Amino acid sequence: MNLKQTLIIALTLSVMSLVAWELYWRSQGKIPDLDDDKNLWAVQRAKVKHASQNDVVLLGSSRVLFDIQLNEWEKETGIRPIQLASAGTSPLPMFHDIVNNTDFKGTLLVGVTPGLFFSTTYPEAGPWKRAQNRVDYFENRTYAQRLNHWFSLPLQKNFAFVSTSEEGWSDDIDLKSLLNNISINNRTGKPQYPPFEAFAYIEEDRNNPMSEKTATDTAFANSIKAAWKFVILGNTNPPDREGTTNFFVSDAKKFIARGGNLILLRCPSSGWIKGGEDKFLSRTEFWEPLVKASNAKAYYYEDYEQLKDLTCPEWSHLSAPDARYFTTELVKIMKADGVLSNSKTN
Amino acid sequence: MLFNSLSFIVFLVIVLALYYSKLFNWTNKKRMLLFASYVFYGLWNPPLILLLWISTIVDWTTGNKLAVEENQKKRKLWLLLSMVVNLGFLGFFKYGNFLLENFTALMNSIGVEYHAQPMDIILPMGISFYTFQTMSYTIDMYNKKIQPAKTFLDFALYVTFFPQLVAGPIVRAGDLITQFYEEKKATVNQFIWGTFLLTIGLFQKVVLADTLLSDTSDDVFGAKEVLSGLDAWTGTLAFSGQIFFDFAGYSTCAIGIALMLGIILPDNFRYPYAAIGFSDLWKRWHISLSSWLRDYLYIPLGGNKHGLVRMYVALMLTMLLGGLWHGAAWTFVIWGALHGIYLVVERLLKNKIHIKINAFSGILLALLTYTLVNFTWVFFRAREFSTAKNMITSMLFMNGDGEKILQSFDIIKVFVLITILFICHWIMRNTSMEEVSKKTSPWVLGVVWAVMFFLIAIAQGSGEQFIYFQF
Repeated sequence: MNLKQTLIIALTLSVMSLVAWELYWRSQGKIPDLDDDKNLWAVQRAKVKHASQNDVVLLGSSRVLFDIQLNEWEKETGIRPIQLASAGTSPLPMFHDIVNNTDFKGTLLVGVTPGLFFSTTYPEAGPWKRAQNRVDYFENRTYAQRLNHWFSLPLQKNFAFVSTSEEGWSDDIDLKSLLNNISINNRTGKPQYPPFEAFAYIEEDRNNPMSEKTATDTAFANSIKAAWKFVILGNTNPPDREGTTNFFVSDAKKFIARGGNLILLRCPSSGWIKGGEDKFLSRTEFWEPLVKASNAKAYYYEDYEQLKDLTCPEWSHLSAPDARYFTTELVKIMKADGVLSNSKTN
Repeated sequence: MLFNSLSFIVFLVIVLALYYSKLFNWTNKKRMLLFASYVFYGLWNPPLILLLWISTIVDWTTGNKLAVEENQKKRKLWLLLSMVVNLGFLGFFKYGNFLLENFTALMNSIGVEYHAQPMDIILPMGISFYTFQTMSYTIDMYNKKIQPAKTFLDFALYVTFFPQLVAGPIVRAGDLITQFYEEKKATVNQFIWGTFLLTIGLFQKVVLADTLLSDTSDDVFGAKEVLSGLDAWTGTLAFSGQIFFDFAGYSTCAIGIALMLGIILPDNFRYPYAAIGFSDLWKRWHISLSSWLRDYLYIPLGGNKHGLVRMYVALMLTMLLGGLWHGAAWTFVIWGALHGIYLVVERLLKNKIHIKINAFSGILLALLTYTLVNFTWVFFRAREFSTAKNMITSMLFMNGDGEKILQSFDIIKVFVLITILFICHWIMRNTSMEEVSKKTSPWVLGVVWAVMFFLIAIAQGSGEQFIYFQF
């Protein structure tokens, strides 16, 4: 058994095949990027422990994640917010975690995406469970998991083929995702999830601008719209306005009572999604009672001349330039209102 | 720490560099290995190292006392101390809630109103493995089968040796401690073969178990509907492959890593799905556990030395406890009971029916064994009896209008993979990987190795825990 020769052959072929694999995917337009996974979230969550009264924490669903750009916020205020908004989640479990498991009493901005915020308080429901899983992971992560994350960052940043994602995007290129994309026929007869590709590039501190392709390629934006339609029309559960509002208000009162600065934010939406939100989750029936009961400062994008006409390329999130504009203008408005009184530039 | 993680690769490189550097003499190398083993374990949950220390100190002390004590009564008391501590840990951490739930149910069933809050107990990783390992040392010392470990360091390393600490193989003191007495260094061939085994183990875990099979198995066993026969069979076959690749993958990694250090660990799997009958299966599946149960449970219960009835009782008890060893749930007990019944029936039939094993009858009997094993996997995987019942009725094609939840590609993928698995096991039944690789050209072996490495790299995985860690 000539194992030395075997090893040399194996090493040479392994390196060659991986280089070819990487080059192939780069030729297909793939670039190295980070995964917005529970590890990335947990690292940001850990920062809250040492956050001061001057600090800002962002919570919410994907709209706050896309629409609030950290660089612009920092430029305007001198403070870089801690981005904890999380796609496809209800912000309630994360807000509950911050209020009850930390002493944080700085500024907490909570995005209200009506379909998710008012969806449920049922622990097994998707929007709740996704958020709670991240909170639990933060609480329970082992030192080995922390190390794995740190070792994986340079690989994610430098190799396009390192692409396993927690979300399971259609354009992931790890082996499982590639196999999952193979379909012979629809044996189950159930509607199939349309292709849903990643449409943002997240940075290490979870600053998350929309990809240029989403804003400029209408066909691609339409594929995201199809995915929204599938998700929204497939959800037959009615919103739980009372339950969610009460749950949030209880924590909001606790947070405000200890001196915290609570801000509610309604980010822009467009087209079919905005139509649905206005009709089924209307401002007067959902947003306004929430604002009143929580006694938080509140910003609804349509109330501001400079924000109300912003358009979302895929109906739900702003393009990167618009998000930068939105953040800058929003912070200016908040500063003018004296809501961000702790910002360093004031 | 998981073998299929980046932190482990870094950890292993550091350990190997220190082990083969000229910085340390053999004693210090062992100290380094012991320290590394605690780091390996502690990176998961540092306080639980305390249990390892207690187990180590108790069995070290007990072993030393048993080596010199001649009074039979006192010897028994020392043995009892080890059993109480080790089984006490196991009982509290692993079976605490299970016992409480069953006690509550029993009280309620006899009309006594009793409600207990479930205890918030964390299950220490690998507790079933290291407690069985340390107990084997003490029992062997009690039976005067082995000499006591020469030094505390040798014994502590035997209990904690990181390649096999959390999921075996469960190594006997006689096989491992003695290897620590003299300096060990892998030859170049051993080191490369160890690396090859590590690659195979990771390939089994990351690519075959986690990437190709786990989702199908999870979907089927997680389904709320009653499934069609084809879906139920696909899910069960997927799980049979997943559990084999997951566990055999861990053992292969452990054997490979130890070999890179020049330490030999025993085989834990020998192509079990080609087993002809259940006695054969248990000589091929989780060998280190089945031989442990044979030596420390079945034989002390009487084995086959006290007549047929006693033998069958011993067999059933051994398999029931073997089932419970895997998890604190009645489904695991049923899994063990089924294996016990299979073994008893096999022994009864063997006396009455004599089949000449040739290639044709052999493969048919292996297929029959594998089919029956799959029925036991249903109880092993299902979390609820209702799920198991639905699965079994579907697998017996008694649910004609069962739900179809799997896509055609998933079914083809599982059947192709399981067929290849079965054929490979059948071909390899009477040989070993090392034997086959000796007859294989370096080019073919090199290409196979590269393909496995490439598939691991592109599968990546999300660092899924090995299934047997929970046992």
